[in-house]
Amino acid sequence: MAGIEKVPSPRSGAHTVIGSSIVIDGEISGDEDLVIQGTVKGRISLRESLYVEGSGVIEADIETANVEVSGQVTGNIAASDKVELKADCKVVGDIRAPRILIADGALFKGNVDMDVKETKGK
Amino acid sequence: MTVATIDGSTIIGESILISGSLNGDEDLTVRGRVEGTLTLTKTLVVEPTGVVKAEVQVKNCIISGAIVGNVTATESVEISREGRMVGDISAPRVIIVDGASFRGRIDMGEVDVEAERETRTVVSRPAPLPSRPALRPAPRPVPIERKMEEKTVAVAAPKPPAPPAPVAMGAVKRKVIVKRK
Repeated sequence: MAGIEKVPSPRSGAHTVIGSSIVIDGEISGDEDLVIQGTVKGRISLRESLYVEGSGVIEADIETANVEVSGQVTGNIAASDKVELKADCKVVGDIRAPRILIADGALFKGNVDMDVKETKGK
Repeated sequence: MTVATIDGSTIIGESILISGSLNGDEDLTVRGRVEGTLTLTKTLVVEPTGVVKAEVQVKNCIISGAIVGNVTATESVEISREGRMVGDISAPRVIIVDGASFRGRIDMGEVDVEAERETRTVVSRPAPLPSRPALRPAPRPVPIERKMEEKTVAVAAPKPPAPPAPVAMGAVKRKVIVKRK
């Protein structure tokens, strides 16, 4: 039987991991870090950080505090703190956040708006 | 990114709510909430803090939290001591341990005539079941042997939950059936 044992979280505070073979169609909301290795369509709203890993595919609007993308995101991103597009990521959509980092090698198409002072991310 | 990922294991954390459909080919541990439909080719583990309100289709299902909805498993469904469930179960192996609460119907597939007849007669009787041995000892690895055993358990297992109406699932009221032995 599958373990009830605590899997060591890949990042401190990340309790939720959506594995690479998982497909979610709908809405995800919560107050903790979320690591996505699989596919999510719909909407994501968190109060913490979202990590989209290399295998992660997101077709959703995202509202969080922090976003780190290494995978693919199609949809608008609104972060109250920071959005980081890592090398090798692919992002199509608008980004709104006070801090936006785009690494060398990242693919991005869309608008960037850093002129937000109020808190976003539900 | 340098995330040491443990592949084949998905965890839905306590504060997370997923509504919609969730499909996958790996084990899933739910500590938060999932609503909608949940389809896996592996094992679903609902931990004590987990709440699943969904139509569930999995291979194995271990319930220590709460499930409201029908569960179809190709292998087994186990409701552990802290587990609560309202809905119908369809699985060849169903394990309900002492302390678990469950309301709904159970279908374990083919049940031999005698067992079936007895189940029917018992349905009308509201009283708790007569003496019967503890549900089932530890799960055994041999599937063939299991087949035989299923039938005996099948007689026992459906009795308590068998509600008069198939409404069980929709009904909001949760009737807790605790089996003590």
